[in-house]
Amino acid sequence: MIAIQKEDVDIGNLINDAKQRGMGAIVLFDGIVRDDDICEMELESYEEVALRELEQIASDAKAKFGLLSVDIIHRIGRLAIGENILIIIVGAGHRKEAYEGSRYIIETIKAGVPIWKKELRKDGDRWVPGEHPHGCGMGKN
Amino acid sequence: MSVKIRFFARFRELLGTDVLATPAPGMTLSGLVKDVAGENKEGYDAIFDEQGAFREFVILMRNTKRVDTADAEKILVTDGDEVAVFPPVAGG
Repeated sequence: MIAIQKEDVDIGNLINDAKQRGMGAIVLFDGIVRDDDICEMELESYEEVALRELEQIASDAKAKFGLLSVDIIHRIGRLAIGENILIIIVGAGHRKEAYEGSRYIIETIKAGVPIWKKELRKDGDRWVPGEHPHGCGMGKN
Repeated sequence: MSVKIRFFARFRELLGTDVLATPAPGMTLSGLVKDVAGENKEGYDAIFDEQGAFREFVILMRNTKRVDTADAEKILVTDGDEVAVFPPVAGG
């Protein structure tokens, strides 16, 4: 499952659905809204592009690390502290590929997928600055 | 000729989203964004520097493909184009 959506997902169900013969490891990354003295987080995306890039990242990760399954769900809209923002579930034959594939996926998403976060604070809202100021993480595709 | 310009994140707050424009034939990508952003000084200043060049961090897309801002003065817009302008991404 590759999706950008407002709704949360059942992580347990996704893990069960990911399991298949030959799989020896599943790594879950769950990015959540941290309590940085904020009220809520608001996320927006350039959805058509972001979804296409998530699909490409999943496909690249499968090929690069020999992964057996990849699920990526990025949430948008208003999220409260503690809510899931980004869920990545990676299944592989062994833990090494699963950990490396998971790390590759999250770092590639942060480098270039057009999604933005805004912290809603009592003392004023603030757009979260990107970690890659030139926005070149995804190349020109 | 009709084109759509989509701003995101802080640029959207300053300039709106899904802005429709009717540029004259021969208009460049850079000229189009300048014209539309020129409707709001704060929005224009967020995207362009004092010399009228795209700020270093601005990301530009034409029909969902990234375009170097340095090339935007040479690329002509065509009917039906969708142009997206946004600041550095911060997903994950």
